[in-house]
Amino acid sequence: MTENRRLYVLTAVALGGMLVAAGMIFLYAPQDALQGPVQRIFYLHVSSAIAAYACFALVVAGGVAYLWKGSLRSDRLARAAAAVGLVFTTNAFVMGMIWAKPIWNWDPSKTWDARVTSTAVLWVVYAGYLLVRRFATPGRQAMRLAAVVGIVGFADVPIVHFSVQWWRTLHPGRVIDAPGGPALPPEMLLAFMVTMLAVLLLAGTLVAVRYRIEARRDALEERAVAAQLKLAASPGSR
Amino acid sequence: MADGLIQRFGALVALGPLDLELSKGERLAVLGGNGAGKTTLLRMLATVARPAAGRLEVLGLDAQRERELLRARLGHVGHQVGLYPALTALENLEFFATLHGLGRAESVAALALVGLSSLARRRVEQLSRGQQQRLALGRAVLHRPELLVLDEPDASLDCESRELLGQLFEGRTVVMATHDAQLARQVCDRALLLRTGRDAGDPWSSHMLHPAGMLGGT
Amino acid sequence: MALAVARKDLRGELRGRELLPALAQFVVLALIIANFAFDLDLVSGPRLSPGILWLVLVFAGLVAFGRAFATEKESGSLEAMLLTPAGPASIFAGKALASAALLVACEAVLLPSMAVFLGSPISVAVVATVLLATGGMATLGCLFAALAAQTRARELLLPVLALPIWVPFVVVGGRAVQAAMTGQSLAALPLSGQPLVILADFDILFLVVASLAARFVLDD
Repeated sequence: MTENRRLYVLTAVALGGMLVAAGMIFLYAPQDALQGPVQRIFYLHVSSAIAAYACFALVVAGGVAYLWKGSLRSDRLARAAAAVGLVFTTNAFVMGMIWAKPIWNWDPSKTWDARVTSTAVLWVVYAGYLLVRRFATPGRQAMRLAAVVGIVGFADVPIVHFSVQWWRTLHPGRVIDAPGGPALPPEMLLAFMVTMLAVLLLAGTLVAVRYRIEARRDALEERAVAAQLKLAASPGSR
Repeated sequence: MADGLIQRFGALVALGPLDLELSKGERLAVLGGNGAGKTTLLRMLATVARPAAGRLEVLGLDAQRERELLRARLGHVGHQVGLYPALTALENLEFFATLHGLGRAESVAALALVGLSSLARRRVEQLSRGQQQRLALGRAVLHRPELLVLDEPDASLDCESRELLGQLFEGRTVVMATHDAQLARQVCDRALLLRTGRDAGDPWSSHMLHPAGMLGGT
Repeated sequence: MALAVARKDLRGELRGRELLPALAQFVVLALIIANFAFDLDLVSGPRLSPGILWLVLVFAGLVAFGRAFATEKESGSLEAMLLTPAGPASIFAGKALASAALLVACEAVLLPSMAVFLGSPISVAVVATVLLATGGMATLGCLFAALAAQTRARELLLPVLALPIWVPFVVVGGRAVQAAMTGQSLAALPLSGQPLVILADFDILFLVVASLAARFVLDD
């Protein structure tokens, strides 16, 4: 039961962290002169995006470890991280859109920059990963195929980023944005760092919880299998 | 050869645990109703699928680590024929021969062996099921394997083709899944009965009181 | 050996006579639809051509690659191939080559048709760009087709997996074709920034990735 207790503590700390971050975002950080109150969304938006990519790194690491060593635990980690990562990607994307509306008025020539496109692609890759897991034969095939999706996706996202950036350099009149302006005032920077840490902690907690759930699910499956095997071994069937 | 073999798909145990020993030159018939696990077992023996647990040694080679070497020495005909419908019989054999590093001569010979020389230029989709089955057998023996793993080869074969089976089995170790008990008796030495993925004994050995009702009668 | 696999595939398709005409039909119909949907004329035709080109190509690709592994799955011949010494890498290479060839055949219908029906200026640069992009798209399309064929939801998974991975090709290729069609010169870009070079880099990168991954996708 210490396993559970650890998770409870972790969750409490993560939630506490988020509260502190919320406080910093709304009370401590100054309002942006150019973009107004909407700009505050950027703290969570960027942090979510970072969390989403961090989860993806876990998915890929898990996949590679599985293909290389056949480690079931790595696959479990990948599974857990994928579910959480999808949520954070969705969040980052939606927040990005909300933020962009008043700033860019959703002008397509400005909306689809390198970061937005990469995040959108990341989302689809996550979706593909989870779908493959669902539709492949459960067990080894699902793990194997999903790992490949993760790895190829991992190679793809930076390439997408690069290619859109390349595209942008040819598109005349594009204003390269930096949220909050080219240099962040120190209060904003601090708020951002705190938020980022809080979000990462939250993401980590979610992955840990998810991992536990998957572990329990796997254990249940093992027990079902063992039961079938024991049944088969009983003298009645011979 | 097989020790504690288990195959599972997620939470479903399809086969096992199973222990099996087969000597060189022996011919084993694998019997059992639908869903008993015959195909699952055969796929593992042919190294097409990997077992979830257990040890498998075929022809003295470890089925997982020395798979490439093993595959060169076995021939497999699964549930599906494994042929290309749009190509002719000869083209199909030639293709697989090329993959094995063999030449045209071997394909022609294999074609003759299964008695389909007259249909060499006929497209596979135009052949009858029985003829396709024979062609698949030809494909399986192209590279002169020592071990044959056949999944219900009798499904649409006629009488003469059954003699063909006997011919092909000459000098080889064979594992064959079938529903046809008579055929099994004809061409095999031993039998293994599978029921819901478990070994239910050898129905041909003297101390089995009665065979499972699914056999056609022994 | 890879060539043998490719040859076998192509011969099958030529013989079968179903995929090639279907693709050609698809291409022409797509162009007709585009013409009316976008209300093209002499001005907008060339402007929208790059977009139409890539859209049609992507969808034709999805159809072609979906088929690539469909027969294998139906006839169980993939397993038969795996049991030979050929090895998953060669098998994959062969199928990728055949699929690429099919896509090129498709382009051979698409590009001239565009020139005729939409008035698109098709130049050597356009052709080269399209060919280079096809290489990479074919490799990846084949990889995911093989993957999707082994699952229960092939038609659903293939687009979901293939489209994100094709995005870089469409982005770079699209820009390059647009520049070529509107007479813009990209000579100002450094060599490493030239679209053809970038596409070639992508091709090589993904070829390596796919070859490494093929083993895990095809074999257990």
